[in-house]
Amino acid sequence: MESEIELILIEDNPSDVELLMRSVSKHHLVNNITVLKDGAEALDFFFGKDHFSPNKPYLILLDLKLPKVDGMEVLRRLKSEEHTKEVPVIVLTASQEDRDLKDAYKYGVNSYVTKPIDFKDFDRIVSQLEAYWIIVNKHPHEKRG
Amino acid sequence: MAKAVAKQDQGQYLYERLKALEETYVATLNILEDFDEEKTKLDRAERALINILEDVEAQRSQSEHSKNLLELVNKELEAFSYSVSHDLRAPLRAIFGFAQAIEEDYGARLDEEGKRYLNLVKDNAEKMGQLIDDLLTFSRIGRRQMQKTQFDINNLAKKVYEELVSEEGDRDIEFKATIMPLAYGDESLVRQVLVNLLSNAIKFSRPMKKAVIEFGYSPKSEAYYVKDNGVGFDMRYVSKLFGVFQRLHSAEEFEGTGVGLALVNRIVTRHGGQAWAKGELDKGATFFFTLPKTEEEWKVK
Repeated sequence: MESEIELILIEDNPSDVELLMRSVSKHHLVNNITVLKDGAEALDFFFGKDHFSPNKPYLILLDLKLPKVDGMEVLRRLKSEEHTKEVPVIVLTASQEDRDLKDAYKYGVNSYVTKPIDFKDFDRIVSQLEAYWIIVNKHPHEKRG
Repeated sequence: MAKAVAKQDQGQYLYERLKALEETYVATLNILEDFDEEKTKLDRAERALINILEDVEAQRSQSEHSKNLLELVNKELEAFSYSVSHDLRAPLRAIFGFAQAIEEDYGARLDEEGKRYLNLVKDNAEKMGQLIDDLLTFSRIGRRQMQKTQFDINNLAKKVYEELVSEEGDRDIEFKATIMPLAYGDESLVRQVLVNLLSNAIKFSRPMKKAVIEFGYSPKSEAYYVKDNGVGFDMRYVSKLFGVFQRLHSAEEFEGTGVGLALVNRIVTRHGGQAWAKGELDKGATFFFTLPKTEEEWKVK
């Protein structure tokens, strides 16, 4: 599988970052991971001076409860700007509140996944996400042929 | 002579006019006095009315104030449980995740006792996760807007029982459900009541060779009930049954977090009903609950 996907992880909890990287690295499907530690850093990355351009397949994993600017606001911006709205965004959150689920879909999230406590489940979910979003799903910026 | 008569007549006439005038005057005075009295009464009535209106206004603003306070407290509670759900889970996930990482990467270097300790860490993290989830459900159900309809509670109980019993393997369980009146309320909340009561009945009758579980209706107390022939409980502790995190059994005997019956009580109370229990050690338990049966009954309650 010659996938060229770049993962952008927007997550403030260092333990979650490390556990996620651990899961992701097991499967060798991702060739680069960018970690953004809060909502402001994320907005700066996508909309700041060094203009982010989705010239290759990106996948964004977004936590909702983030310092400075919350994840829902980051999602809203990502989905309302022309150059970022096609990048698939998966909300990965501990929140099981109906309100968050509804709002996320209202803003156009591509997938909404809750973080389980059991790491085996967490690991399994990460594998499933990778399998689906990297192998099964067709990405708008994928090189064809 | 005629002149004198005429004068006398005139005098008489004037006298009578004067008298009439005086009478009119007195009558007018009387009327005015009456009027004054009426006016005083009216004033008094007006003042009383104003007082009443002021009281009503005070009460209205008081209840407005209470309502605002309640909304504020509710919002705070919502923010609190949101933050519990997010922040308490994060460290648990790390505890569990890194225990798992030790097992995967260093498991070969651990002896049996080391592995056992590691499993205890994971089991307890998982248990705490369950506690957090149950507590969140409890708080969510208290806040939820109710969707009210009339529904077939007998049918609902049968479906819930089938789902629950399918996870029980090859136990010998007899389930009876009698015909009973329709219930009125939030069906998905009442479903939660039935899930909790029936899963308790299944759980606490586990030591019995043959479990008998019954979902019935008592016309006398107008209550639905779930009855089992399981381990029962001592009536001395009945007051503890419906409290949050209260348990009458150790986790080794029967698993659970002690939230189920508190949830039952909360849902039934929100429907204007009551929940209570009867039991005897080793002779089973019966859990009763009342619900409105029609929209009219709901309004009364």
